[in-house]
Amino acid sequence: MKKKVISQAYLIAIIAFFYLPIIYVVVFSFNDSRSLTNFTGFSLRWYEQMFANRTMMESIYYTIVIAVLATIISTIVGTLAAIGLSKSRRIIKETVTQINNLPMLNPEIVTAIGLMLFFTSLNIQFGFVTLLLAHIIFCIPYVMLSIMPKLRQLDDNLAEAALDLGCTPFQALVKVIIPQIMPGIVSGALIAFTMSFDDFVISYFVTGPGINNISTYVYSSVKRINPSVNALSTIIVVGITIVLVLVNVIPLIKERKKKHETNY
Amino acid sequence: MKKLIEFRNIVKEFDGNIVLKGIDLDINENEFVTLLGPSGCGKTTLLRILGGFLDQDEGEVIFDGKEISKVPAYKRPINTVFQKYALFPHLNVYENVAFGLKIKKMSKDLIKPKVERMLQLVGLDGFENRDVTLLSGGQQQRVAIARALVNEPDVLLLDEPLAALDHKLRKEMQHELKRIQEEEGITFIFVTHDQEEALTMSDKIVVMRNGNIEQVGTPTEIYNEPVNEYVANFIGESNILDGVMKQDYLVSFDDKDYECVDFGFRNNERVDVVIRPEDIDIKPKGQGKLNGQVISVLFKGVHYEVVVETKKGASKTITLHVLKDRDVFNAEKNEKMHATDFTMDIEDVEEITDEEIIKRANAQAWDSETNEDISIANLEYNIEAKPGAYPVIFKTHNGTFITANVNVVEPKINKDMGSKIGIQAFDVYKSVDEIRESMAISFDLKTWADAYAWYLDSEDEVEIDDVRFDFDPNEIEEGDYPVTFLTMGREYKIHTTEQQEEGSIVSIDFGPRDIHVMSKMVQG
Amino acid sequence: MKSFRRLVYPYMVWAGIFIVIPMLLIVLYAFTREGNSTMTLNFTLDNFIRFFQDEIFIQVLIRSLILAVITTVICILIGYPCAYFIATLKPNSQGVMVLMITLPMWINMLVRTYAWRGILLETGLPEEIKVYIGMVYNFLPFMILQIYTSLSKMDKSLLIAAQDLGCDSRQVFTKVILPLSIPGVISGITLVFLPAVSSFFIPKLLGGGSYVLIGNLIENYFVTTGDWNFGSAISLIMTVVILISMYFTRKFDYDKEAR
Repeated sequence: MKKKVISQAYLIAIIAFFYLPIIYVVVFSFNDSRSLTNFTGFSLRWYEQMFANRTMMESIYYTIVIAVLATIISTIVGTLAAIGLSKSRRIIKETVTQINNLPMLNPEIVTAIGLMLFFTSLNIQFGFVTLLLAHIIFCIPYVMLSIMPKLRQLDDNLAEAALDLGCTPFQALVKVIIPQIMPGIVSGALIAFTMSFDDFVISYFVTGPGINNISTYVYSSVKRINPSVNALSTIIVVGITIVLVLVNVIPLIKERKKKHETNY
Repeated sequence: MKKLIEFRNIVKEFDGNIVLKGIDLDINENEFVTLLGPSGCGKTTLLRILGGFLDQDEGEVIFDGKEISKVPAYKRPINTVFQKYALFPHLNVYENVAFGLKIKKMSKDLIKPKVERMLQLVGLDGFENRDVTLLSGGQQQRVAIARALVNEPDVLLLDEPLAALDHKLRKEMQHELKRIQEEEGITFIFVTHDQEEALTMSDKIVVMRNGNIEQVGTPTEIYNEPVNEYVANFIGESNILDGVMKQDYLVSFDDKDYECVDFGFRNNERVDVVIRPEDIDIKPKGQGKLNGQVISVLFKGVHYEVVVETKKGASKTITLHVLKDRDVFNAEKNEKMHATDFTMDIEDVEEITDEEIIKRANAQAWDSETNEDISIANLEYNIEAKPGAYPVIFKTHNGTFITANVNVVEPKINKDMGSKIGIQAFDVYKSVDEIRESMAISFDLKTWADAYAWYLDSEDEVEIDDVRFDFDPNEIEEGDYPVTFLTMGREYKIHTTEQQEEGSIVSIDFGPRDIHVMSKMVQG
Repeated sequence: MKSFRRLVYPYMVWAGIFIVIPMLLIVLYAFTREGNSTMTLNFTLDNFIRFFQDEIFIQVLIRSLILAVITTVICILIGYPCAYFIATLKPNSQGVMVLMITLPMWINMLVRTYAWRGILLETGLPEEIKVYIGMVYNFLPFMILQIYTSLSKMDKSLLIAAQDLGCDSRQVFTKVILPLSIPGVISGITLVFLPAVSSFFIPKLLGGGSYVLIGNLIENYFVTTGDWNFGSAISLIMTVVILISMYFTRKFDYDKEAR
């Protein structure tokens, strides 16, 4: 019994540690004053300031646009590449897996400066295009990583069965393989979206003047104390919480509904 | 009958392994052909080449007079039922069956009656909207068949489709498949490793081994006239004996000559002789060809499987010396010790180690109160490679000790010239408790006595089949007991409807037509 | 399905261009002199000599390594009991706990670190401690989740078997649970140590400008100074150091398994 109390207290302490900064951000986003340590009263002035700040609003816009585009493109490319890879000979499989491991295992900063040097060598102007391209580049390996296990579970004969029944290879892909690995594709897309949405290190090195995402904006505003960053953070926290709750609750509701139906 | 498919010298290699070594095979229209063989014999590879899922490295596949190696799978008039069915889990029963027709862009009102007819044919009418993942194995199987047949293929390939089903269902599906094949008039090519399945369903059986075809024939031909030991063993149970073909119509085995109907061998050619268990009759002693003892009778439902031993195996009898427990007790240190005498082959003396001696003497030391084991710290012995008894002293750290004798002896070998088998074993010394504690006495006796048997000519090990003794290991007392180790003799398996008494002496009989002579197999 | 194989070829070209070439460029820059164009290459070891001759650079490298090691150790010490306690909860509560730990990870790292800046601003703690708090905060969840996964995947019948064979609960832990969870700890180490060595925004945000790590050096040479050759050399050195440390961690793991 005593053991249980200790373990529960420990877990509560850990959770408190994890949520402390989040609670802090939310509370101080409503602070009346510029202070980051004293809560002097409730106000919405930092939210007003945030919406009035063009750079800040743009950073939110770019973050979302880049994340959406990078997710769509990297999911499509990654899915096709993963399917091809799963049918490839061992040596190709291993080579591509090793290459994909590079950006995943290397420190992000190394990937970032590599891309920076690459874009410079090709004389590509740093900006929206380089940012998007970099995000696509580092998202694809993660998409492939989340699809490969699904492909491995896939009954080898399924694609053959489709061909056997008269599908062209393309039809077999669209009508049989992709529906089968959909869960992997969805989770790959989700990972790609978060990776892109949260990315700081790579964006920091490959973005150009005037193009900020939320991370690079926060980093650049570190010199001055700017409580509207708290407001921005609060909005992110609320947004992500809503999304996560929906993602976790909707399947539960669906299941319950299904159960309800089968009861009749 | 018209030739539909011709395989011409098909060779296939995977990573340096040649899995098909030049297959030539013709398949006729409306035939039920079975490719039979153990896993790895290449049967599935051949099927996949025909289906268009693999390319052969050499040779050609001719379909209806045309070479089809370059035709992609989806353009071949062939459909497949896959081993694990490969039903599309995201589609329901109806959608699975209709899949091929939809791909062909057939109009919906044409698809519906076809699918319904197919589901009826396989006995699944009313299952249209079921989730395929929730069907039983047998039902999934039927969906897979319907899904393939609805496309009206010229050939249906079935890759071990019944492997995942239980025995009863498998039987049922065998009849079902045969019925469907006859009703639809389609060529079925069926892959299996189950000989019974092959015999019941096929018009033609192709027996494969290591990428080669061993024999092609009707079930009756394959069963009655197997070309070699491999086919005979694979199809049905057999008695297969080494023999010599003296001359045409005369074969010799087990030191006797027999008339037979086979001819065309070289004189005195070494051959394999098959006698099917159901072709042998059991007669009263002295009235048949060979006398022997009934050593086992098993009821198999329709018949009895009787094993008659016409010749005993080699045997060796040793003495089991059961001794009183003579544990040493060191009251001062609360330690108890135990060790028993043992016998050792003179040839093993040179290689003996301390661990081996401790193991063979079953030397142990333990705390008399807690029963916890104490390790044996050192051994004193001087064993020479000369017959005799040598004492060994086992000691613990605390100075408790016990002595046991090692009896070094020359190996005693029994050479059985009839069966050409040698067998050796040593006398065993054990305490009452050791015998009583043994969980598998026959096995332990073999180990303790170091019993070993081998062919005198080839030196290959022969399994010791039987250990005979006349005591109850749970009730054993001190004393000497004989123990006999035996190898298997010449045994005949016989299927008969009459029950036989185990242990009785009978005579077995077979005629010239029951003997089938085959060439010895070329290895590899 | 050979026809599907072709789908991977475009990606192979893509990966060659966008993953392999950038890595090669870093190596190329590290071994060449500043100011050269791609046409005229002057190979040199100057960048590396410069790094190893200057005590300050060596100090920064050592400081980064120490920081990463200590962060990893703290994460194991705090994370292991946490993962263990979670694994002993009822299955439903386990799911909730895992979700609770994953949730903050979905929120931008920069944003969370920025929040810590506010919290720690007037605490008067030494800069170094602040950096450690930020590091542990950011990387602890990875460690907990890795260890938890290896603990929860463990075959429960092993524990029963161990008890059956006479282990008391302490022995069950030291003889069965701990050795079997080592792979989880190892992959946790990979996930913590690696980003900790190279991290540069956590020290910048929490340590003020005064706490310089190797990541900050690289950032400085690329963004402020513009000496890309030297910056590339530093990142190459860092990569090699990380590879060596990872090699030893893995080797430790294999040795364990071999036994």
